[in-house]
Amino acid sequence: MQEFITNNIKETNKVANDLATNLESGQLITLSGNLGAGKTVFVKALAAGLGISETITSPTFVLMKSYKVEYKKIKQLIHVDCYRLDGIEDVSDIGLQDFLNDPQTLVVIEWADKLDNLPKKNRIDVKIESLGQDKRKVVIT
Amino acid sequence: MKILALESSCDETALTILNAQGNSLVLEKDQVYSQIDIHQQFGGVVPEVAARQHAETIIPLLDANIKSEDQIDYLAVTTGPGLITSLLLGVTAAKTLAYARNIPLVTVNHMEGHIYSNWLSNDDLVKNADKYFPSLVLIVSGGHTELVLMKNHGDYQLLGATVDDAVGEAFDKVAKLLDLGYPGGPIVSQRANNGDCSIYDLPRPMINSGDYNFSFSGLKTAVLYTLEKKKKLNSEDVDNICASFQNAVVEILLNKTMKATDEFAVKSIMLAGGVAANQQLKEALQQEARKKDLPFFFPEVKYSGDNAAMISVAAYYNILNKKNILAAKNILAASPQSNWRLFETKK
Repeated sequence: MQEFITNNIKETNKVANDLATNLESGQLITLSGNLGAGKTVFVKALAAGLGISETITSPTFVLMKSYKVEYKKIKQLIHVDCYRLDGIEDVSDIGLQDFLNDPQTLVVIEWADKLDNLPKKNRIDVKIESLGQDKRKVVIT
Repeated sequence: MKILALESSCDETALTILNAQGNSLVLEKDQVYSQIDIHQQFGGVVPEVAARQHAETIIPLLDANIKSEDQIDYLAVTTGPGLITSLLLGVTAAKTLAYARNIPLVTVNHMEGHIYSNWLSNDDLVKNADKYFPSLVLIVSGGHTELVLMKNHGDYQLLGATVDDAVGEAFDKVAKLLDLGYPGGPIVSQRANNGDCSIYDLPRPMINSGDYNFSFSGLKTAVLYTLEKKKKLNSEDVDNICASFQNAVVEILLNKTMKATDEFAVKSIMLAGGVAANQQLKEALQQEARKKDLPFFFPEVKYSGDNAAMISVAAYYNILNKKNILAAKNILAASPQSNWRLFETKK
């Protein structure tokens, strides 16, 4: 477990950037934290670390977005948002099964705490907590 | 010609029969079977629920509105963008019917549908569209915030879009932060009417970015910080926060839209999408358009949200331009495209 206290967005972005450099395809990253904690902002910095130039926008409405990646063996980033998924427990309901553990895919899930049965293998959990204004606590397990 | 259109990209299952002849558009049937009651329980759209509801409503909708002897010249269906599970239902129903009855199928982009909702509410656009091109279209909804230059029917250039949250999403999330329920747009606007927008100083992210992109994520977070500072909220505070938030949103949208009208020398301005129902936004755009002597079009509220009528009109202009039409065996190739991008960034 790693814990970071960051004082501004720049420092938080650096945590995401550093995490990105150590990522491998087939991994799953879950993000949890309250509304406005900065989950999508974290994904933006993560994507920048993976060399993605396309703009990462909130997948809240469309649920799932995919981006092309060329980083180590990673070919695509699947960005999922479970914000509107209250009452849905099964990852197969949102078609995630096709992407989890895919050798060329990196999956990032926001509001992952709403899903019960995510695999533990190859998973990195990121918890973001607001400590007021732009100060954040980021816990990576 | 008669066009039967189906829309099932998100909340609504909807069906329309459009009778289009030259410059005359007559809706013979127009039904929206809204799922919003069900979604309210969950605080948003739940795709699996959405898909199941579409499955339960689409066949009764067809049964109630079309008989086997009815003459239909074209079928039209939204194939994207949208929720994949919901799109799949509409596309499957439409292509099955089209193939079985050997009727050509028009695949329609949902965003293009929103643009054409303006044709349903403004007769002069139907009769004299050429007079109003190029037009600047501001599309604002739960999933989209885009400024589009419409040069002609079917000819678009994307000028800018949100870099994070869509406007409608920001309204929904602010409503959630204030515990006001779903959908957030109407309730936040209603509360804003009673509020004072000068009480809270909220930011206008990217207003001076020099491009036509938008950002609403930071505005939502600013509302959150305001709430954290306040701790206790009374009803008046909620009204004032809603008013300040809505004012910030309208100012950002207005600023970028009016800047684009100058740069691209447009001949009209159009508003489209679910957030086009927002009264303050409409009034602000109307006022600024008048100052520049530009015609301003907006859809009636019943056509601003998702509906099949707008899909049928978009299909009509696609047919006139011989675009996106599938016939005979090719009908089977129709499939949902959840990320369909209609607008080119540069041309």
